[in-house]
Amino acid sequence: MTDVTILETPKGWPAILLPRQGAGAKGAAQGSAKATDPTDLDAAVRAGAFEGLRKAVRDLGATATIAAVGASGLRGRGGAGFPAADKWRAASGTPAAGRIVVANGYGADPSSQTDRALLELNPYAVIEGLAIAAFAIGAEEAIIAVRTEATATIRILEAALAAAADAGFVGTNVLGAGRHLDVTVQAVQGAYLLGEETILLKALEGKRGQPEQRPPHPATHGLRGRPTVVHNVQTLAAIPWILVNGAQAYAKIGAEGCPGTILVQVRGGERSGVAEVPLGTTLRNVAALAGPLAKGRTVKALLVGGPSGGILPPEALDTPYTFESLRAAGAHVGSGSVIVADDRACIVDLARVLTRFCADEACGKTIPCRIGTRRLSEIGDRLAAGTSRAGDLGLLADLSADIVGSALCDHERLATLPLMSGMRYFRAELDEHLERSSCPAGVCHPIAMAASATH
Amino acid sequence: MSFIPGIGIARGMALTLRRFFEPKATIRYPEQKADVPPKFRGRLQLLYDEYGTLKCETCFQCAQACPIECIDMGGLDTKGRFHVHWGASETYGERREESALRRSGRPVPDPAYTHFEGLDVGALDRILEDHDYDPARMLQILEATQAAYGHLPVAALKRISQVTGAWYATIYGTASYYAHLRFEPPADAGQAAAIAARRPTEAAYLAGLGASLGGRSAGDAPRGDA
Ligand SMILES: Cc1cc2nc3c(=O)[nH]c(=O)nc-3n(C[C@H](O)[C@H](O)[C@H](O)COP(=O)(O)O)c2cc1C
Ligand code: SF4
Ligand code: FES
Repeated sequence: MTDVTILETPKGWPAILLPRQGAGAKGAAQGSAKATDPTDLDAAVRAGAFEGLRKAVRDLGATATIAAVGASGLRGRGGAGFPAADKWRAASGTPAAGRIVVANGYGADPSSQTDRALLELNPYAVIEGLAIAAFAIGAEEAIIAVRTEATATIRILEAALAAAADAGFVGTNVLGAGRHLDVTVQAVQGAYLLGEETILLKALEGKRGQPEQRPPHPATHGLRGRPTVVHNVQTLAAIPWILVNGAQAYAKIGAEGCPGTILVQVRGGERSGVAEVPLGTTLRNVAALAGPLAKGRTVKALLVGGPSGGILPPEALDTPYTFESLRAAGAHVGSGSVIVADDRACIVDLARVLTRFCADEACGKTIPCRIGTRRLSEIGDRLAAGTSRAGDLGLLADLSADIVGSALCDHERLATLPLMSGMRYFRAELDEHLERSSCPAGVCHPIAMAASATH
Repeated sequence: MSFIPGIGIARGMALTLRRFFEPKATIRYPEQKADVPPKFRGRLQLLYDEYGTLKCETCFQCAQACPIECIDMGGLDTKGRFHVHWGASETYGERREESALRRSGRPVPDPAYTHFEGLDVGALDRILEDHDYDPARMLQILEATQAAYGHLPVAALKRISQVTGAWYATIYGTASYYAHLRFEPPADAGQAAAIAARRPTEAAYLAGLGASLGGRSAGDAPRGDA
């Protein structure tokens, strides 16, 4: 159903979000999912879909459902890892005429397909998670936000929603228990930042996509002023499993304090694609899913977190993939992208490309955003062009600290990561560009010419 | 109520006398400096950067933030598109005719300002009705308008503003943010479709990333049906 490649994972790894792939298939597992229709509700129900919703509505009730999600330790997969149940408590504790749940399926990083893979292969898990969250916080309105250009995803979601409504899992009188849930798919397009929750809500209100000061958080004051729980689609898709198999079972998977599985987009080896990995898996094992590097190549750097990700050295291969460890290393979970760069890559060039994209996409609402990210990108451009000024690296560090200190939204803060992590781990290579105007990897032009002439 | 003749005059003279002996407010600037609140900005002025370009990015933040809508502007927006903009219809006509850029003292070519084409609003009115004249559905209204007219004509934005009650600045701010919305007819339809399908910054990013990684493809933005 989807053209996203799903990578095969080791047998012992849990499969909570995506149907298990390629049992017995050789090489690049294109996925047995091709054979089954993900919108086939009967098949999904036979496989256990909507059991979690039934349990929440019939057995647990709202409070115990929130408690179960809290006990599982589930944290948001949108990048920051905020505990899911805390948002639910904040929203359900805010008196309001109506509450809203938004599934964030925007998938801002153009090089990561994780959320799209989930929506296309397992739409009912997302819809069920959405219904459970809505039930728990007392919401009667839910929105699944996706990119306009992802027409295939929209088609699958709409078909799945229609089937779920016919079967009484969403819509009027959910499971005959008297509660309503209106679910709509809303397509938005136009900017990287639409993935950020306050901006996504602005877009859903028909406004310019710029972030808001927080607090108040969307959980208490969100869409149209209503308490709004925004979750990444992966966060939602884990909830049915938690209710069916128990919070304790979920808490046991993955890392201590960071349980469960997460989708990653791995690239750099002979394959590239999406895989479901338990949190806490080392970057080495994550990277291995893409297979070995091209012949004779060695790992030079790992780019973790997407456009605003960190550039980590090979020593970081032992870092566990958790929110905290990645942040400590100077990267972040972000879009779930893990890219292995081999010795052909130039750190300066890589950092420059990433920073440039972050600056281009910055919304311009605040000065650190409008001018700070632009200046960062210029420092990167100067390094690559061999036109650096003395003190540029000091300026880079100072400016980054100022941006982090004064930024309005996380995009600007994270936009400092590519250059800062590059400077932290690959200082010698930056100095080479700065002091000798030469590019050791022979990537940057026009310096690369000069460098190769001396070889 | 008793009436004492001359009391009004006496009161007035008393005030005059008090004021006369009060300390004077005039200070000998610049020898003396007034005690000015830290956030006082005096007369608003648009500044130039070291290259002589106006620092204002025409982002419309100030126009949207100003509670009495006294800021309005026109010129190039952040995406390099010409456009002109007025404040709400109740602002003074004289201000409506001058853009912020013009008032900054620099002549700015602004073709859209001097004349914009009239519009057959029939289709637009149907769109507005379909969307309940609801400003919260502005994005959908703008998308439908663009679908009907090929782009977002100035006259259409004005009409939307009048009918929905949303400020022109807000509508323009929304329209200029989203890359798929445009203010001029596209040079060619194929190009417009390509931009809508994959945004130029994303394409540049993917190409740049692929090149940095040694020529490998860096992946794809979501694709729809073939
Ligand atoms: C620049 C930026 C881009 C983001 N893009 C996405 C995105 O594409 N998808 C997503 O789910 N969350 C994204 N987020 C995170 C959201 O703001 C938000 O934290 C998340 O949707 C909340 O869901 P969670 O609790 O499940 O993590 C982004 C954040 C920032 C700062
Ligand atoms: S439009 Fe207003 S807020 Fe935006 S840059 Fe210009 S003066 Fe500043
Ligand atoms: S990107 Fe502009 S405020 Fe964050």
